[in-house]
Amino acid sequence: MLKYLAKRILQLIPKLLVISLIIFLGLQLLPGDPITRTISPEIYKYMTEAQMEQLREALGLNKPLIVQYFTWLKGILRGDLGYSQSSGSDIASMLKGRLPSTIELAFFGLIVANILGLLFGYIAALNKNSFIDYLFTTLSVIGISVPEFFFGIAFIMFFALKLKWLPTGGRMAAGHPEFSSRIKYMVLPVFCLGISLIATLMRFTRSSMLDVLNKDYIKTARSKGLNETEINVKHGFRNALIPVMTLLVFRLPILVSGTVVIESIFNYPGMGSMVLDALSAGDMPVVMITTLVISAVTLVASTLVDVLTAMLDPRIRLE
Amino acid sequence: MENTLNENVLEVKDLQTRFRVQKRVVNAVSGVTFELKRGKVLGIVGESGCGKSVTAHSVLQLLPKVGHIENGSVMYYPKDGEPIDLSKYGPKSKEIRKIRGKDISMIFQDPMTTLNPVYTIGDQIVENLRKHEKLTKTEAKVRVIELLKKLGIPNPEIRFNEYPHQFSGGMKQRVMIAIAMICNPEILIADEPTTALDVTIQAQILGLMRSLQEEHGTSIILITHNMGIVAQMCDDVAVMYMGRVVEFGTLKQIFTEPKHPYTTALLRSVPVLGMDSDEDLETIEGSTPDASTVFKGCEFAERCKEARPECFKRFPKDTFFEDGHRVRCILYEENENG
Repeated sequence: MLKYLAKRILQLIPKLLVISLIIFLGLQLLPGDPITRTISPEIYKYMTEAQMEQLREALGLNKPLIVQYFTWLKGILRGDLGYSQSSGSDIASMLKGRLPSTIELAFFGLIVANILGLLFGYIAALNKNSFIDYLFTTLSVIGISVPEFFFGIAFIMFFALKLKWLPTGGRMAAGHPEFSSRIKYMVLPVFCLGISLIATLMRFTRSSMLDVLNKDYIKTARSKGLNETEINVKHGFRNALIPVMTLLVFRLPILVSGTVVIESIFNYPGMGSMVLDALSAGDMPVVMITTLVISAVTLVASTLVDVLTAMLDPRIRLE
Repeated sequence: MENTLNENVLEVKDLQTRFRVQKRVVNAVSGVTFELKRGKVLGIVGESGCGKSVTAHSVLQLLPKVGHIENGSVMYYPKDGEPIDLSKYGPKSKEIRKIRGKDISMIFQDPMTTLNPVYTIGDQIVENLRKHEKLTKTEAKVRVIELLKKLGIPNPEIRFNEYPHQFSGGMKQRVMIAIAMICNPEILIADEPTTALDVTIQAQILGLMRSLQEEHGTSIILITHNMGIVAQMCDDVAVMYMGRVVEFGTLKQIFTEPKHPYTTALLRSVPVLGMDSDEDLETIEGSTPDASTVFKGCEFAERCKEARPECFKRFPKDTFFEDGHRVRCILYEENENG
């Protein structure tokens, strides 16, 4: 298991490098002087042509691309992400305020979606062709086909405006940064974000579970005199989870991009709204760097899911 | 005295098992009667689809959801204790779960799919043992390793912690036998245990079953379509056709004086050592009818060489001979009368 873990973590490195290379080349293709993205525009405004030339020399912007790439990469690793073209503020400090709130949202969205999706799928499979099965499968069609912004608006109308149970948006009450005060603000966005994932996971878990319950080793388990719970959970569900995990890896990026829409509906101050602002302002450096961050987070998360799958399935672990 | 009373460890009487597939009813087993003698091996033979596997699964109520026992009884006579009619308990009941894996256990056809891929083989054997006997993990492990050694699995201490995908087919079937035998059951039901294995491995597995049976006095129901295996392993034989036992007798009775035309044909279709190489093997003409066919007379009549007009009109009855031989054929009913 440790060997597998080490292997997966080592495999992360080339993947991250490839992504960073793509982002770097994308930045090179942008119109305009690269020096405007490298230093703060506040300083840039008062510089003469000669000073700029000197700075280009000092920053290595005249050197071959490959050298520049490594200089850039070193900067990224040190937290030097460059400057926004529209606001002029440095991207690292912009991210510092936004990234945690988005990760919070996506993380809890993932947890809630997993628990509910797996649970509903398990229940539906065990009650195949019953009322509860039909109810869940019908609801899941709605969950998959109706876009999340509709749910967002509907939730705000119903739970926030009509019932007044939960706030309409924002991340925390003014002056209350502690986690407990944030929970109330997170409920609606987390559910909106999770709905389509709950629905997909439910369907997938259901069919995977039905598939596993037809396997011969379930008959073996039954022939040992185990009770239904032992058969369904220990021998059934554990095996049914393995293909579901694979689905989860592919759904992760969708979860991250889903936050963009959800954040703007709930006025949630995360990466999503930052990306939207940057896109409408044509602020490509910000777009590129956020893409880099999102890809990196997704890669790390999918590696975690892979490790989880390996823990479930010895055939992967011992390959 | 006890012994004479309990000569049979299992008596299946008039067992009927039905499958309901979308309003269509299929009689997979329609009135099967046989006895399993204590410490003996009973072979159930027949073509594919004749209901032998369903019969075996009916004993422990391991049928798929659509199948259920419609009628008949499955009497189990434990060595000590009251006889139990297994067909009267639900497939999920506590009573039947106490018997599964402990008193009566089962081995299935394909060892590639009958072991759970995510647990070590040690875990899977220990699971059965600890379900039925109060043992600590270490005690259970000692017992399991002992049995694995007896089953000829090399390095049992290491292999105990390995997963099914690290085992070959023959080794997996040994593990299945270990799961089935770990609680020293009174009855072992083996549903075509060697069909999915190489011929050389087949002989080893059968040999192992034989030696375990001799050591523990386990009674075995061996389901197969292979007459060679029957001849090698069994004491008694039940020949099945279309969900019914058409002939029942000792190995000698079945092989030397087969009475039912189907048994005769079945035996003639197997090559025998020393047979002339240009001698043709006989085949049974036609094919097995669909399981949902409704018959008015003998199910075999259409393919039978000795069929008479009467055979198509009414069901044959069981004819009992003095030596315990039993046949379900109209030809012998007449002999009895005349």
